Amino acid sequence: MDLRSRGGWWPALCIGITGIILAVYILLVTSNWIYLGLHDTLYFFSKSRMWERFWLTVWTATVSMSFSLLIGIPAGYALSRFRFPCRYLFASIIDLPIVVSPAVVGAFLFGITTRFPFDWISEYYGIYIGRNVYGVLLVQFTVTAAFCARLMKASFDMIPTRFEAVSHSLGASPSRTFFKVVLPMAKNGIIASMIVVWARAAAEWEGLMLFVGATEGKTDIMPFAIYLDWNGGMMGWVTSMSIVCILMAISAISAMKIIGGKSNVW
Amino acid sequence: MKMIKNLVVFLVISSFFLVTHAYGVEKRLLFHAGLGQRAALNEIKAVFEKRHPDIKVNFSYKGSGYFIADITRSRQGDLFMPGEEFYLMQAVERGFLTDYEPKTDIPAYFVTVIITPKGNPKNIKKIEDFAKPGVRVGLGNPRSCAIGIWHQKTFKKAGIWDKVKENATLSAKCIPELGNATQHRAIDATIVWATTAVLYLRDVEIIPIEHKYRGIIRLPVGVLKFARYREEAQGLMDFILSEEGRAIFHKHAYAVNPVIPVDKQGFCLDGTTDQDMEYLVNSAKAVKDESFPVTKETVGDLAGEVLRQKKTTRAGD
Repeated sequence: MDLRSRGGWWPALCIGITGIILAVYILLVTSNWIYLGLHDTLYFFSKSRMWERFWLTVWTATVSMSFSLLIGIPAGYALSRFRFPCRYLFASIIDLPIVVSPAVVGAFLFGITTRFPFDWISEYYGIYIGRNVYGVLLVQFTVTAAFCARLMKASFDMIPTRFEAVSHSLGASPSRTFFKVVLPMAKNGIIASMIVVWARAAAEWEGLMLFVGATEGKTDIMPFAIYLDWNGGMMGWVTSMSIVCILMAISAISAMKIIGGKSNVW
Repeated sequence: MKMIKNLVVFLVISSFFLVTHAYGVEKRLLFHAGLGQRAALNEIKAVFEKRHPDIKVNFSYKGSGYFIADITRSRQGDLFMPGEEFYLMQAVERGFLTDYEPKTDIPAYFVTVIITPKGNPKNIKKIEDFAKPGVRVGLGNPRSCAIGIWHQKTFKKAGIWDKVKENATLSAKCIPELGNATQHRAIDATIVWATTAVLYLRDVEIIPIEHKYRGIIRLPVGVLKFARYREEAQGLMDFILSEEGRAIFHKHAYAVNPVIPVDKQGFCLDGTTDQDMEYLVNSAKAVKDESFPVTKETVGDLAGEVLRQKKTTRAGD
């Protein structure tokens, strides 16, 4: 049944509201682009600083997303399938970083990295986590890992347990079942979650502000660089980098749609 | 299965990338600095690193209010240069900074100026004009930024604080908020540091304040107690305090006169900073008007700022 054929005011209203929201967003981008102007667009887009920041954002977000996935896939599977003590407590705690502001995460990371044994380890190996790119990765990972586990749990929840039962009954081990049956079925969900987690990591800013601070060219990923330049009155940088961020988001989402990622988020 | 394999390959490659990053031989100084000092300090860093190839200066730029919490918890850092002496004194009180010398450790000063949107729509000429009905005034929140304290001080001295408070339409958390609001015509007038005003030459009018209301704000620098490379940090501090270092600050509209006579509250007593104010007003003219000459006589050391902002319509670098 095609809903359009029914007519009436309610579908028209809903579609109209969608159109208005869309128009507002398009207006936001175009008005800023007009404010920037063609000459300045070419000027800022051809600067190497722009693309250094861009790659810094892309690779840090990708690395922290990969680590989050390594934690998130088994954790999400465990929360979705297994019964173990304090399961609900775990499930609630793992939700915390989603609900709590990243600023809190940033402030708390101070406490852990400067105490035993972490201070001792970093002293011994000469690796200082904090105001360098490791700090950025740590903040991004801390904020996104739980988020990732949450999304993974939702993806695994969507898959009926019957297939696993069949696989078990045919004599496959739990790990073989996971890799051969569950994971391929969760593929779309995983891809969708990857994009969401990646975008969340690339947009992280508050935690960085508190824990890392900005070192130019080293820790200032796009959102942080926008804030820095806003403070320096450099409206040209602010506007052009915001436009790049939006283009980045649009391509990430389109890429996901093309690959075929689907989950309960989309 | 293939996806997992790809993921593992990717992780191995990326971790290799991390390890190669981790070990460096050079000495890395960690410099806690106020966001507002970024342009000047980046220039100082460039000169200093060129002279000392074995030293790298890493800045941790933050709003000045964030520093004490950061230093208290992390106990890391070599140098400290917040946006006001008040924040440095907090560090001195807590014992993070043991050898601060208030007489000599001041490389530069902020000077207060009035800014209005381009064309000065409400015709603001002096402090008393802020009390005129219908003027949308931007004030800083004294709890979160130093300029807020100076707004209160200045308008109280002029006896118009109550009226200005009624006119206030913006309570800013940090000083760039005031600059941006003026640039986008959200307010009609405000008072900011000259170093902030110089960032918006194309979009604002700059009006110097008469001596008795012109605030001079001391900007100190110090080596922290837990500095890992004390000697190198001291070297950088000496460079900042040297003639050469001060000259770099002067290029970004800081006042660098060794002595500026002030009263007890910090307001200017004579015309020491008049010349700098004239350069500032001229450079605002030079960015807006193509025919205005940009020379040492007209804009002084601000030529670099003027040329930077002339390059594009929306400021960048």
